[in-house]
Amino acid sequence: MFVARSIAADHKDLIHDVSYDFHGRRMATCSSDQSMKVWDKGGNAEWNCTASWKTHSGSVWRVTWAHPEFGQVLASCSFDRTAIVWEEIVGESNDKQRGQSHWIKRTTLVDSRTSVTDVKFAPKHMGLMLTTCSADGVVRIYEAPDVMNLSQWSLQHEISSKLSCSCISWNPSSSRAHAPMIAVGSDDSNVTYGGKVQIYEYNEVTRKYAKAETLMTVTDAVHDIAFAPNLGRSFHVLAIATKDVRIFKLVPLRKDSSSSAPTKFEVQVLAQFDSHNSQVWRVSWNITSTLLASSGDDGCVRLWKANYMDNWKCTGILKGDGSPVSGQPGALSGILGSATAQSALNGNCPMKCAVMSKPRPRKEKPRGGILP
Amino acid sequence: MSSGYKPDILWSPHHADRYVICDTELSLYRIGPAGSSETKAGALPLSEETAATLLAINSDTPYMKCVAWYPKHEPECLLAVGQANGRVVLTSLGQSHNSKCKELVGKEFVPKHARQCNTLAWNPVDSNWLAAGLDKHRADFSVLIWDISSKFSPEAVPAEKVRLSGDVDSGLVVTKPLYELGQNDACLSLCWLPRDHQKLLLAGMHRNLAIFDLRNTSQKTFVNTKAIQGVTVDPHFQDRVASFFEGQVAIWDLRKFEKPVFTLTEQPKPLTKVAWCPTRMGLLATLTRDSNIIRLYDMQHTPMPFGDEVEPTIIERSVQPCSESIISSFAWHPSAQNRMVVVSPNRVMNDFTVFERISLAWSSTTALMWACGRHLYECAEDAGQGVAATEKDIATKMRERAQSHYGHDTVQVWRNHVLAGGDDPQLRSLWYTLHYILHCSQYTENVEQKQQSNKQSLIYSGIKNIVKSSSGTTETRRCWSGSDRQTDVPRYHSEERSLALQLCGWIGRGPDIDVEPFLKSLEQEGEWERAAAVALFNLDIRRAIQILNKGASAEKGDLNLNVVAMALSGYTDEKNSLWREMCSSLRLQLKKPYLCIMFAFLTSEPGAYDAVLYESRVAVRDRVAFACMFLNDAQLPRYIDKLTNEMKEAGNLEGILLTGLTKDGVDLMESYVDRTGDVQTASFCMLKGSPGEVLKDPRVQCWIENYRNLLDAWRFWHKRAEFDIHRSKLDPSSKPLPQVFVSCNFCGKSISYSCSAMPHQGRGFSQYGVSGSPTKSKVTSCPGCRKPLPRCALCLMNMGTPVSSCPGTGKANEKADLTRDKKLAQFNNWFTWCHNCRHGGHAGHMLSWFRDHSECPVSACTCKCMQLDTTGNLVPSDSV
Repeated sequence: MFVARSIAADHKDLIHDVSYDFHGRRMATCSSDQSMKVWDKGGNAEWNCTASWKTHSGSVWRVTWAHPEFGQVLASCSFDRTAIVWEEIVGESNDKQRGQSHWIKRTTLVDSRTSVTDVKFAPKHMGLMLTTCSADGVVRIYEAPDVMNLSQWSLQHEISSKLSCSCISWNPSSSRAHAPMIAVGSDDSNVTYGGKVQIYEYNEVTRKYAKAETLMTVTDAVHDIAFAPNLGRSFHVLAIATKDVRIFKLVPLRKDSSSSAPTKFEVQVLAQFDSHNSQVWRVSWNITSTLLASSGDDGCVRLWKANYMDNWKCTGILKGDGSPVSGQPGALSGILGSATAQSALNGNCPMKCAVMSKPRPRKEKPRGGILP
Repeated sequence: MSSGYKPDILWSPHHADRYVICDTELSLYRIGPAGSSETKAGALPLSEETAATLLAINSDTPYMKCVAWYPKHEPECLLAVGQANGRVVLTSLGQSHNSKCKELVGKEFVPKHARQCNTLAWNPVDSNWLAAGLDKHRADFSVLIWDISSKFSPEAVPAEKVRLSGDVDSGLVVTKPLYELGQNDACLSLCWLPRDHQKLLLAGMHRNLAIFDLRNTSQKTFVNTKAIQGVTVDPHFQDRVASFFEGQVAIWDLRKFEKPVFTLTEQPKPLTKVAWCPTRMGLLATLTRDSNIIRLYDMQHTPMPFGDEVEPTIIERSVQPCSESIISSFAWHPSAQNRMVVVSPNRVMNDFTVFERISLAWSSTTALMWACGRHLYECAEDAGQGVAATEKDIATKMRERAQSHYGHDTVQVWRNHVLAGGDDPQLRSLWYTLHYILHCSQYTENVEQKQQSNKQSLIYSGIKNIVKSSSGTTETRRCWSGSDRQTDVPRYHSEERSLALQLCGWIGRGPDIDVEPFLKSLEQEGEWERAAAVALFNLDIRRAIQILNKGASAEKGDLNLNVVAMALSGYTDEKNSLWREMCSSLRLQLKKPYLCIMFAFLTSEPGAYDAVLYESRVAVRDRVAFACMFLNDAQLPRYIDKLTNEMKEAGNLEGILLTGLTKDGVDLMESYVDRTGDVQTASFCMLKGSPGEVLKDPRVQCWIENYRNLLDAWRFWHKRAEFDIHRSKLDPSSKPLPQVFVSCNFCGKSISYSCSAMPHQGRGFSQYGVSGSPTKSKVTSCPGCRKPLPRCALCLMNMGTPVSSCPGTGKANEKADLTRDKKLAQFNNWFTWCHNCRHGGHAGHMLSWFRDHSECPVSACTCKCMQLDTTGNLVPSDSV
């Protein structure tokens, strides 16, 4: 069972992103109020805000943690066309309030000419690398050659996807059999431009990223994309938030190692759910990639889980405000029942109640709470 | 509003729970929670939570073209209705006993020339002023501002007007407006400007937008544009105005009124309504004709006023409030965040909230955090809530198993499946297989040392390879035990086959091939059917019957077992007997697989045992053992191969019995991991394999790395360390090198006494004659140059790590002591220092200092030593 509880966030505007660190003991949030907050979990499992500071001169879209072996490092990206790398410092003897940590700006990446829509650190085994994507369709990969000096970042690769980018995701697989791979989603809503998810793979021979795959079946605007934690599996799983929730499986086809051509994949759609009934905004995998959470315009958070046969099912729905969805079958019939009673009562009333407003149809019957 | 019969919605400016639907009449509704007592009877459901109750209907005013709600609290429910003939009528919904209201209701404001009234706008400050926009008339004005408090005009009311309105009380008719604007023009939309509510009026005229200043009516600012419909001011930004023309919305900045700041993407169908969200800055909702979609434009990232170099960024969203049905109109709730009511052409209403985009993230410990609007919600897994094991996520399972030391029982290997929860038949089979493998290999190690290497690797290579290497199979036809009748069932024997049976667990190790101990243990477990089947396959019907009887009489025993025993006792090997005929047909109705295969065995022709071999409900272990006994050298490898491939494909761990810990086994485990993500089992299983080859497989290395990473992410650092120790025993290459040593400030050599990497150090040390007198004072100096070690910042004593736990032992034996006590000295006496300020002291002293202080104990050093390493401050979650 899952139990939802509310945390007083105290942001002055919409929160655009929330991100946990590697251990799940720290959390960062960013908002339209141009600020970021860092939260630490106290001994009593309560979240305490330990830092809050103005970061950008525009809405902050995303925030992400580096692996703790690189220190306490955050990256953020914003409408103000920049991405910023932050590092927490302790020990300077300025009279900070007790319990407040101090984050300083290590570098500002100003290469983009448009809003930077997503920022992600590459998997740990690749070193300290940072990727951004922007509304003008450019994916940039930066590297900090010296992990001790976070003010030095060199732009290693620029990939032009030719479509306005909204989200990126690294393939987290650390297996040597899998070349570094990044998926890019576009929120361009013009369906005639074709596939909105492109997958780029690093080529050891040319030392460049080359397009390995375009998911041609995803033609609507993509709002979020997430590779599942690989966990030693032989294939990759990719979740996509577009007008529905989609889960793709990418099975690398064997290739001879000498060839410099990008890996070919067998692409399968594992699942496709339109139960949000509207645009899907975010998707997120749990650590074993056995649970997927999605959020959509219906204001609900849905949890998806696969059984051993790769059949994905909804295992829980919660409203955005944490309250359970009152769409129990019993409750539905209750609403309809009272409606018919009412039309009988007001038989001569000039209301045209021939068609009763029906509760939105649901694909699955929600259970009481969210079951893992 | 333009098309008269499509319903429109107006929300009460002061009552958050009331709204009016207007089409041919006005209906006042109150919105409330669905199912509450006051709304129960006669409520229309608007959503899952809310319902509307009809409070009042007013059909006094025909030919309605537009409606505007009186903006002040009192009188409430006063509405101005603009009619097709240009008249504006004040009307009310519900009974108001307010005298002022009574005075006003029914008042009419009549233009000189009759034409359609397009729009109405109350002045929000001086609420007596009501602006009306009318169609064009050659000799008249199109914008009339009426004062509702003015008395009826003294001049006589023309008779035809009385006839038209049917109003006998002509005393309520006003014909003289306060202001007349826009001569020889048409007015399509109006709004008062908040910059100066009293004086400024924005009007969408025929081909332009005009701002009239009432202080000087001759003065007007205007801009030529087609976008003249639906002018509306952003309630959060008084200089921002939206207007539209057909499918296009134009956004204006009144300070730069020359041209639109920007226009929104054109819609293929004409727009019918455009409204700013009253609760959120810069959110505009638009609706087109015959559409089921409301489009929302979020303009909060558009800097105003506009620099020409900045391109506007507008987030466009579309929402479908009532799925497929068409929307006639909508209205924002005045105070509830992002809430609106929509109405369809047939007056079906829907209460709807536009949700903010929710962003979400999972933590490594399966907590879900999401942000909705300005709020954060965390949904943590509530452990121990009696969730069925099959429902549990593998992440939860792995965490629980790691905490119960799953995989660490190296003596009774089979027990690991109990540590895993004991409810997974595949894990059970896997750990028993590994148990038997290790058991057999230990035995061969002891007994047959001469051919050890060969046989050893055979044991690990699984039954598939064992069977392949089989040679010298003998065939016997044994009697049924307890009878002297010869069976016609051939049974095969070979050394390899009995090894396979050992691995299946049917017979014990060694030359003994007695199945009795196995039967005994099955009986103990209460697996009566399985025991009976095993007895039967060993051609001991009498024992099988005895077992079944025992099972029937046992506690919670199944009395049907007696019946089965009875049936069994009637066994006859005559081919055409009634018994055989009945058994082969009736056995299919038996629910228990083992009973089913018993009769299948008895009724099958020798060598044709498909009914037994392919009964998937029977454990692989038993089927394989059966095959090893009754299939000949040609059939057996074929069957085993087939079964192996099946297991590999399904990722069924029972198949490890067949594949062993070979590359085949890794293949099988790969499909198991692909299916479940259970890298924990995969890692521990592969570590049990004695031949190092499987450990070198990159896939196995990958699983181990992934599992260690999981343990780290969960802060199961103790578990990870234990796992590493466990791993290094089997895979010495995984042992990390020593990480740190302390070198003397003076001579630069390591101060360690027992550094195995530098044996000469120890020798050099004893040359100084210290080895005989290991006192504390001596170890506080460098063993290389005899200079004293640094002092503890707190006690100011020279530091050292005295071997106080074992005085009297010579230094030469220290390494042995190390392994015996597993520690050098009390942790409190350890060296410790801050790598940042390089001050330090005894670990115990430092810890107690930092319990109360945040800065370094050395004077004038402000280093916050204890807070430097954030990860270091985390507590391992498995230390409890």
